[in-house]
Amino acid sequence: MALRLIGIGAFLLGVFVLVPVFIAVTGRWDFYYTLTSVALLSVGAAGVWLTFYIGRINIGQGAYALVGGYVSAILVMKAGFSFWVTLPLAGVACALISVVIGLPILRLRGVYFAMVTLVLTEVARLTALALPVTNGAKGITSIPLPGELSILGLTIIPDFAGLANPKLAFYLMGAALMALTYLVLWRIVNSRLGHLCRSLQQNEELAASIGVNTAMLRVLAYSISSFFGGIAGAMFVAISQSIYPSSFVVTDSVNFMLYCFLGGLGYVFGPMLGTLLLYFGWDLLSVAKQYQLLIYSGSMIALMLVLPNGLLSLFDKKESRQ
Amino acid sequence: MKRRVFLATTGLSIALAVTASSAAWAENAKLKIGFVGVTSGPAAAWGISNQRSMETRAAWLNELGGVTIGDTTYDVEIVPFDDQKDPKRAIAGMEKMAQDGIHYVVGPNVDDGAAAVRPVAEQNGIMYFPYAFPKELYTPPASNAILGMVANYQSGPAIYKHLMDNAGVKKVAFVAANESDPLSQRDGGVEAAKALGLEVVSDSVTYQVDTTDFTPVLLPVIQSAPDLLVLSGVSPANAPQLIRSARELGYTGLISTETAQDATVLMEGAGDLANGFISVGGASTPELASDAMREFVDRYTNMFGEYNDESNTKVYALEYILETLKANPAAIDDVEAFKATMDTFEAPNPFMVGDAKLTYVGTTSFGQKRQVSVPLVVNEFRDGKFETLFVAQVD
Amino acid sequence: MEQILANGLYLGAQYALIALGLTLIFSLMNVLNFAHGQMYVFGGFVTYTVVAQFGLPFIVGLVASAAVLAVLGGLIEKFLFRPVIRRSKREESTMLLAAGIAFFLDAVILLLFGEKQRGVPKIVNGVFNWDMRIIMPYDRILIGILAITLIVSFILFMQYSRTGRAMRALAQDRMAAQLMGVDVDRYSMIGFALGAMLAGLVGGLLVTITGINLGMGGPTSVKAFLMIMIGGAGVISGAIAGGFILGMMESVGLTLLAAYGDITYLVIFATLMVFLAIRPQGLMGKPWG
Repeated sequence: MALRLIGIGAFLLGVFVLVPVFIAVTGRWDFYYTLTSVALLSVGAAGVWLTFYIGRINIGQGAYALVGGYVSAILVMKAGFSFWVTLPLAGVACALISVVIGLPILRLRGVYFAMVTLVLTEVARLTALALPVTNGAKGITSIPLPGELSILGLTIIPDFAGLANPKLAFYLMGAALMALTYLVLWRIVNSRLGHLCRSLQQNEELAASIGVNTAMLRVLAYSISSFFGGIAGAMFVAISQSIYPSSFVVTDSVNFMLYCFLGGLGYVFGPMLGTLLLYFGWDLLSVAKQYQLLIYSGSMIALMLVLPNGLLSLFDKKESRQ
Repeated sequence: MKRRVFLATTGLSIALAVTASSAAWAENAKLKIGFVGVTSGPAAAWGISNQRSMETRAAWLNELGGVTIGDTTYDVEIVPFDDQKDPKRAIAGMEKMAQDGIHYVVGPNVDDGAAAVRPVAEQNGIMYFPYAFPKELYTPPASNAILGMVANYQSGPAIYKHLMDNAGVKKVAFVAANESDPLSQRDGGVEAAKALGLEVVSDSVTYQVDTTDFTPVLLPVIQSAPDLLVLSGVSPANAPQLIRSARELGYTGLISTETAQDATVLMEGAGDLANGFISVGGASTPELASDAMREFVDRYTNMFGEYNDESNTKVYALEYILETLKANPAAIDDVEAFKATMDTFEAPNPFMVGDAKLTYVGTTSFGQKRQVSVPLVVNEFRDGKFETLFVAQVD
Repeated sequence: MEQILANGLYLGAQYALIALGLTLIFSLMNVLNFAHGQMYVFGGFVTYTVVAQFGLPFIVGLVASAAVLAVLGGLIEKFLFRPVIRRSKREESTMLLAAGIAFFLDAVILLLFGEKQRGVPKIVNGVFNWDMRIIMPYDRILIGILAITLIVSFILFMQYSRTGRAMRALAQDRMAAQLMGVDVDRYSMIGFALGAMLAGLVGGLLVTITGINLGMGGPTSVKAFLMIMIGGAGVISGAIAGGFILGMMESVGLTLLAAYGDITYLVIFATLMVFLAIRPQGLMGKPWG
């Protein structure tokens, strides 16, 4: 337990203190945005991981990120809401939609579920193109930066537009969101709910036969997953101050899934590590110019050959390899 | 345990090597110009032709001894970033440009990317030259984006007007891919056609960009019997297939688009069926191209093996940046000075014969000068080559 | 009406051929091959290079595509999928590998063949026109017939050859097949090579009509996923049915919904989702494939 606390402490210290210090020392200010992206994408990936945890391959997180982004953008631009109110609302909206969609499609398993969710991303994009409220192909642009958040006159989060360095603010915000998400995820996995989820992953019929309400559990896990996707999408919109139907596409959905695989499906912090490596790795590789994709994909294949169960399986002691 | 340490150290050393190599260039006086665009994946053709144009021109200028701005002579260095057509990546690219101290960036290639990088560009004092048409990028309060080509809402009306007057076109139909850029361009085109008094007989048909057979897509369009079929925002990959399907369905009217195309691609994909296809190009048709333009094409071909006609419209952005900097050396790290110079800037256009000028335009469309003035050259495809149909100017 | 059906049939034939390779690989190894579309693109570029660059006859290009892709597929199975499948705890892990291969092939295609759209000249000229009721260019008819011939010979091969029977046994029950003395490794490799070869053949066939560019890989994979999902994953007849159904849906949908424009594909995709919610294993699939 003490070791675990130290680990969490070290993680928080690293994210909130060491990274800003490192950036201040080296002057690599561009890392802030990249790391913010990593933080937010890993929030979305956490959701995908949770659906993996109940034994479903989810290639549809991009759809929820897009919906979340649009919910936030529309509420801010058309209804004049504060961004901070829309952030949880975006998540809730996605969770609600995912219940409606999840009830029928969660009956599917294996590749069928995977492929339906893949279609879902395309459906979300086409819906965004067709609906009047989303402004169709023209997207929603010139969205203001997040304003001040205060409770009883006490400023909790200052107005981003008034900040000298909104990059740092976004980074801290993204990192906090990530820390919170993984705390929640970790709690879920180590709770009764987590045990039930594992039973689903192993054998659904068996779980049902001993009285687990599998349908309800699946929808619950899926809606939590979609909630994460929604808030990640909403935060991205706040950074880019614009959203288009193509802001989150099939590629993003596939990437969310790859982050989980790379980190390791058996490890709560797998998706976070996977996101860091794949997303940050691409940026670092931009020095390779036209060979960027070649090196990127080559190392992905190599990693898979060395560690087919994800990066974190490196730390498995009991596993014997031949 | 050993294995773990080994992997950790390798990872660390790779990371170090990568950071070190990216910090190594800083000896000569270098002028870095950025490029943020898509150079991999489905839309790679757009960004690659763009990046290669810049690299060709930069290598050429450096070979001639560099560019003299004020008292200093610089070697031009192009810093590319592949955004994979993802707006989120595009922001990262723009951040990287800001990190490298770059103030002038060409790209992104699409609407969503151009909109997404706007906050970063404005916060970091970067002027960028998107190849995207949304007006809000260029109208105040936005002020850091400069449209790098002729927009469809400028070229479209000119083409339709020309065809009304010269080919008796009365009925027009529009087809577009179901993506943001083409759909926006279609809506703009429909509006323009209606304003000119044309009858729009079909404007609702769309297709997925990955369509492999356009016959079912075009069937209802052809049945509406237009005189002119406009392929809004068509990508060079889809254009030959659409043309071929339309012709094979027996369509005999005109076909046009407001985007730039490549003659080889059209020839390979549609052959003679593409004859008469009208598209927007740069200044490389034999009638217009200057010796410099011809040399540019040669150098591009030598460097990369094959020329891409799309580059005709993409040769200009770098030229504008360098010439404006020459006109006002203070702008080299101060975009406000650049903006001030834009209003009065004028230089000869090296790529066209005659006395064509490089100036900034766009007052009519955007209320401020936020567009490079490139000649609106409308081409007609004929037997594997483009022929100039007419030339117009945008103000 | 006749035109819509003819379009649907033609589309369906080419789709079915793409889906066949994918479903074969899936049935044998439970691998959802994300790189299938890239293999198709690769095949197209090989034919293009042989025909347009070297000036050899089309059939040589087609054979070259098939051969190159078969070798590539075999190597990918032996050196990449096999070790990973053996060592991974969850078989979905191969998806990351497949995606990595897809990216890798994308990169290779870009470096080898460039970013431009490519096409070879029409192999036959002229348009078949039956009283304006069916209009179909002759090259399309030829390609359609070739595709159907390939599908039929593939079915015959699977049905009657020793290799085909072994692969079907493998698809039905891997363990039982192994116990009965089927060399699992060998037939997995042959199956993967065959699947890749089919992808390459479609690429080679279609390069004469639609041309090829490096962006077509990803979307083609997704479309092929849709088809095998409609028909039922891992079932040969399902893939064929799925291909023809998707072809018909597009052909009919595009005509009927033309007036509503932007929503055509939305309707197609939404219908698919509803269909699968009702019939989770597709038309002919094994439940919980």
